[in-house]
Amino acid sequence: MEAWIEFGRGPLFRLSFALMVLGLARILMLTLVGVAEALGRAADRRVACKEVLGKTLVWLFPIRRLWTKRPFYGTLSFLFHLGLLVTPLFLAAHILLVRDAIGLSWPALPRPAANWLTILTAAAALALFVGRAAHAGSRALSRLQDYVWPPLLAVPFLTGYFCANLALPPAAYQWSMFLHIYAGCLIMVLIPFTKIAHCVLLPLSQLVTTVSWKFAQGAGDRVAATLGWEDRPTWVPNARLNAPPERRPMVRKREVTTL
Amino acid sequence: MPLNDAQIARARAITKKPEVVERQRLPVRYHVEDLEVRDRPRRFLEAFAAILKHTNYGLALDHYVRVSAKCARCSTHCQVYLASGDPEDIPCHRSELLLSVYRRHFTVSGILRGRLLGDPGLTDEQIQQMADSFYNCTACRRCSLECPMGLDHGLITHLGRYILSEIGIAPRALVVSTREQLLGASGNTSAIPIAALLDNLEFMSEEIASIKNVEVRFPVDVEGAEYLFFAPVSDYLMEADTLMGIGALFHATGDSWTIGTGYFDAINYGLFYNDQILEHVLHKIRREAERLKTRKILIGECGHASRSAKYFYPAYCGGPDALPVLNILEYAHDAWKAGRLKLRNDIVTETVTYHDPCNIARPGWIVDQPRELLKAFCPNFVEMTPNGRENICCGGGGGTVSIDEIRPFRTSIAGVVKAEQIRATGAKYCVAPCANCKKQLRELMQDQQVDCEVVGLHDLLFKALDLEGR
Ligand code: SF4
Repeated sequence: MEAWIEFGRGPLFRLSFALMVLGLARILMLTLVGVAEALGRAADRRVACKEVLGKTLVWLFPIRRLWTKRPFYGTLSFLFHLGLLVTPLFLAAHILLVRDAIGLSWPALPRPAANWLTILTAAAALALFVGRAAHAGSRALSRLQDYVWPPLLAVPFLTGYFCANLALPPAAYQWSMFLHIYAGCLIMVLIPFTKIAHCVLLPLSQLVTTVSWKFAQGAGDRVAATLGWEDRPTWVPNARLNAPPERRPMVRKREVTTL
Repeated sequence: MPLNDAQIARARAITKKPEVVERQRLPVRYHVEDLEVRDRPRRFLEAFAAILKHTNYGLALDHYVRVSAKCARCSTHCQVYLASGDPEDIPCHRSELLLSVYRRHFTVSGILRGRLLGDPGLTDEQIQQMADSFYNCTACRRCSLECPMGLDHGLITHLGRYILSEIGIAPRALVVSTREQLLGASGNTSAIPIAALLDNLEFMSEEIASIKNVEVRFPVDVEGAEYLFFAPVSDYLMEADTLMGIGALFHATGDSWTIGTGYFDAINYGLFYNDQILEHVLHKIRREAERLKTRKILIGECGHASRSAKYFYPAYCGGPDALPVLNILEYAHDAWKAGRLKLRNDIVTETVTYHDPCNIARPGWIVDQPRELLKAFCPNFVEMTPNGRENICCGGGGGTVSIDEIRPFRTSIAGVVKAEQIRATGAKYCVAPCANCKKQLRELMQDQQVDCEVVGLHDLLFKALDLEGR
């Protein structure tokens, strides 16, 4: 067991961490490239930056918006996210590990605060799970990953709390630590491939939406041409079946492309 | 305020002949022209692929399949879901119909998983479901305000309808109108011949003369005029009061404007179901603007027409160098601000409320202007809540208002929230500066028995405008 824990803390942790960082960097890059490509295709490249930034900030720091509808669920979700971000990063034990490994360190949360935050996060995770299962609308939408994530995220919090605060017998302590580390690694590996990717993609959402509304000139004609409908305008859907002979040709392609 | 089961059943009933539904294999409420039904999934995927290849939708789809969190928060904001209470009407659920097709057929992991699990992929049933669902959405984009992940379900509805139209699935009401507009002899969606237009302008001049005692003319084909005016063409048939208000407005400001007989229709149903049409209709506007050497394009009281011109004219007709596009409310507001309008505030004394058309209010483009203007001459102005950018759709958005056979749906499931909102204001007049909203709201007021008259902003402006001494 000792060896498993050492392995998890060492090579496995580094591998998972690297996978997470690379995976997230990949989708971040892909998105940015996608935005650039889309703008490249569009003739009108003006983006209302202030508007996009404003909407982005509203949801990055949802302090005003979140309470307006479903306030209970919103509050829970907010606390949950807060706990997820703050606790692991500012936990004294984690900072010590980092310091031993690479020499960096930063201020830690005081112990009681860390404990409360841990409990709160785990409790919020479970409440979110229940909230999802109990709300008919959410149930209709939920996929497997939506149910799995909150409890999975709660595992390292609970086990971490046990290890740090309870006088556990050695075997139980080791099991807890094992779960703590391996669940953490699993989470990191899964992040880029699941909805948790929003941890890096969220700041780009509004930009992506805005840019996607920037339509490319002549795209509709090219789509029709690709589909072999060039002279069969799609607003005459039965043209393929029985083209009326007297139809005037639609706007000639040249007129559009030479603009 | 979910409706009861009987009301929902009535709203959702398909009134088409069963054999048509059977033949077209399309259990939807709206009529569709006869279409090829064989091999639909394959053709849908081909169209999807072609669209992805040439457009920018792939960016949004990639992003949305990655981040969508399925939190159901959007359900609190969709007037359709609020009324029906049916999980299928949750915006995120609707979008998932298309996102799942994208994930399955256009992402590596989806294709691999499909192979491994032996999943045959897109089915005809899924297409039927999309054909129904994307026209239950009014594309009002209210839900986009409330998505923490930044998904715009209106964009997905827009794309879904585009793909469907490429395999022949689009409401006949819209298709027939655009066909007349792009290929027909009249060249506009209401098939109004030029002679009738001229007659109509003449008639309105006479009306104004008899009411206001001034000679107001509607200039036609004036080369080099500053503003080239496009009304939603149905206004010439149904909203004479609005147009008379606009005529009087220009009379008061004295600016040069004109209506072009080469093309005078602002309506652009392409926005509702097909990007190719969206583009071609805008080119008609461009050609007319070039012919008359105008400097600005002015769109009348119409939400979707204004949005398609404002946001897509630059996209299709010259990028940043394209002619500027204005909505008539902006123009009227500017004129009033500059002190060029004399308005009497003792004429429209009834309670007046304002309905924001989604297409101009949602982006925050036209929200304050009409309010400031109305408050200047309506002493009894009241707001409905919510309003402005957060407004609730009239229930006929996304082109659904033109589909007469779905009126029971529009005036119950899609519109009941709006009806109650208007009822709560107790207003005598509801100002709705949009041809589509006007038609829908009138039907809604009737079917939901709300005692409120729906008018355009310029209808009231006309009453209050003091033209003496001009
Ligand atoms: S765009 Fe409007 S009608 Fe469509 S799902 Fe969103 S809120 Fe509902």
